[in-house]
Amino acid sequence: MTGDPTTDSATGSEPVSKNLVTARRERVLDAMAGAGIDVLVLGRQDNAGYVCGMRRLWTAGTRPFGAGCIVVGATGRVHALSSWDDGIEPPMGFDDLYPLTWNPRIMAASMASIDGLAGADRIGVDELTPSFRRATAHFAPEAEVVPADDLIAGVRRHKLPGEVEAIAESCDAARAGAQAAVQAGDGADPVGAAIAALAARGVTVPSSGVRAERRGDGLAVDVGVICDLYEGGVGGLFVDGRRAGSGVLADACRVGASHGDLSAAATSRDWLVRGLGMGFERPVIGPQIGIGEQLEAGMVLSVTDGNRRDVIHVTAHGPSVLSDRP
Amino acid sequence: MSGDGAPVDEVAPPVPDMGRMGSERLGRLREQMRAQGVDGAVLMHGPHVTYATGHVPEAVDASHANHRRAVAIVGAADGPVGLHAHDPVDAVASAGAELGDPLWPELDDGAAAVGAAIAEVLGDLTGCRVAVDGVTGAMARAGVLDGAELVDAGRVLGPARVVKTADELACIDRSQRHTEQAMVAAQAACVPGATRAQVAGVFLAALREGDSEPGSDHRNEIDPIFQPMPLRRDGGPRTSTGHVAFPTGVDNPVFSEGDLVWVDAGVGWHGYMSDFGCTWVPGRGPNAAERSLFDRWTAVLEASLAAVRPGATLGDIGRAARAVEPDETPWLPQFYLAHGTGLESAEMPMIGTDLGQAFDDGYELAEGMVLVFEPVIWADGVGGYRAEEVVAVTGDGWRRLGRGHHYEPFSK
Repeated sequence: MTGDPTTDSATGSEPVSKNLVTARRERVLDAMAGAGIDVLVLGRQDNAGYVCGMRRLWTAGTRPFGAGCIVVGATGRVHALSSWDDGIEPPMGFDDLYPLTWNPRIMAASMASIDGLAGADRIGVDELTPSFRRATAHFAPEAEVVPADDLIAGVRRHKLPGEVEAIAESCDAARAGAQAAVQAGDGADPVGAAIAALAARGVTVPSSGVRAERRGDGLAVDVGVICDLYEGGVGGLFVDGRRAGSGVLADACRVGASHGDLSAAATSRDWLVRGLGMGFERPVIGPQIGIGEQLEAGMVLSVTDGNRRDVIHVTAHGPSVLSDRP
Repeated sequence: MSGDGAPVDEVAPPVPDMGRMGSERLGRLREQMRAQGVDGAVLMHGPHVTYATGHVPEAVDASHANHRRAVAIVGAADGPVGLHAHDPVDAVASAGAELGDPLWPELDDGAAAVGAAIAEVLGDLTGCRVAVDGVTGAMARAGVLDGAELVDAGRVLGPARVVKTADELACIDRSQRHTEQAMVAAQAACVPGATRAQVAGVFLAALREGDSEPGSDHRNEIDPIFQPMPLRRDGGPRTSTGHVAFPTGVDNPVFSEGDLVWVDAGVGWHGYMSDFGCTWVPGRGPNAAERSLFDRWTAVLEASLAAVRPGATLGDIGRAARAVEPDETPWLPQFYLAHGTGLESAEMPMIGTDLGQAFDDGYELAEGMVLVFEPVIWADGVGGYRAEEVVAVTGDGWRRLGRGHHYEPFSK
């Protein structure tokens, strides 16, 4: 990748979000070229959002794999499944869309009309189903289908400055939700109070959602939301309105930190350090997982240690707490 | 309205038996597996895990659900199902399954444990026919399913799921009633000057009321839709259908007096999805032209329902609906006149999709299928009316699921 469009202010009038979409797309195209992947077929909503910035109706839980978004290296174009152009960000336009269909034959025809797909040698996918493998034989008969989830996860591991800013804004919303839960009066539903506070800011999409539970004198609260495609979160045990618990694990999130370092810093058996960006990302480091991982500058992490959760940006100068910014 | 014309709105919903529901579902799944020569199933799609085990994964973002996947491993022969979940598993689900450690099928260093968990239930996969929801990159790189012939899990789950047991219907009924109840508060909040998110917030908070532990039972599964519609087809985003874009699910509009607001929401109870749809008018009552849209909508619904009975084809019902509105298809072209609901909110059977007339004419209704009717009546310049009605196919017709009568400010 050459340069970083999110820090380039030469264009001045360009909105940051447009620069960010373009920068993410270029990173993915560069990674494809490096890995010899001609076409990427993305079924995961977050991967599609990363490449094209498209906002869609949010639904909970896993979804069956399908061709939600297609990136063609040869043309540099990104195509997405949608019957309308609402929620589409430039540089993508209406002509880059293929319509929603229930009919596999119509879907195959849409695929066939995408420039550069039929001649692809290697198609990368972020998940694979038996039926999709069969379908590729029709729209790209010569292609080898290979897993490319790690390619896009690798790109997403390190955040652009504009992404860090977007995550910090989402964290700000999450904090407002947590604060409303903590300040809910006696007998009031703290989760309901958090939901109302988030809604007042226009936020209704959960990542992990809002949880609140009385624990002795305190209220354990965790809020995870998604605003404009980026996740924010915060959690803790609040006693008399103040957050209790240790930030030691968050402070251990430094460049080069290993699984052993994080495990030693954790004060609870229930700890998890995982990538946070357009939702749940890599690395994932916990008691039983991520043994070989090492933290790198540019990662943004959700750091859970018992009830406490912070969002940390790992920088060369140490951890920067995004979930507790003034 | 009901199948025999009797009022049903005060009939208490039946209480489902969760244990019986679980064993009947697993029986139906295994029957399909044996009929199709499928030796084992490795299920990682939430609704499929629920169908096989009763465990309902939390209603979180897909990125979270993908990483913290619940995995169910089912052999075609009788015996325990392997269930690996990150979320707590309730008593009913844990009674019917062998619980194992949580798995991380997304991660390369989690793949070996996935392979071991599969082997524990299914043994050596060489030469076996295995149904899968998907193969993650980590599973593919580790060769976890090498040697097996893979088929889509939907091929066995689809036919098993399409006809609901009495308990499944009771779950949908309850979920629908609860959604209708929470919508009362949301409708009161849908006034000129309010935003979509504010109304959604009122709905989401109201959903928590009446749960054994607030929020424990009913899980919101769709960012609730309260979309003010344009008055003309070309008044909104550009579409490939030439009709209006719905549901777009983006932005946070402020409602104005007289907007026609299309409402759509889906809430899970034990995984079973409600589907609530209607049209609201903030700040005033509907005018005569808008009321005539509703009258035409009602006529399409009544004609459709009159054709619902076991043995009728989807094509019969689509024709009955079109006969009332001969000039234009009375539903959105990218969707359907009706779809099923169950563990997902848009299941088979679907009537009037782009699968085409031959598909619809070849598909017969059976007792226990569910249909969510969602006709749309549109008049350029006036706008559109859309609402949804959930019914189950009975031995001789249909019955409503949910309390119904949710058409205010429109009504006969």
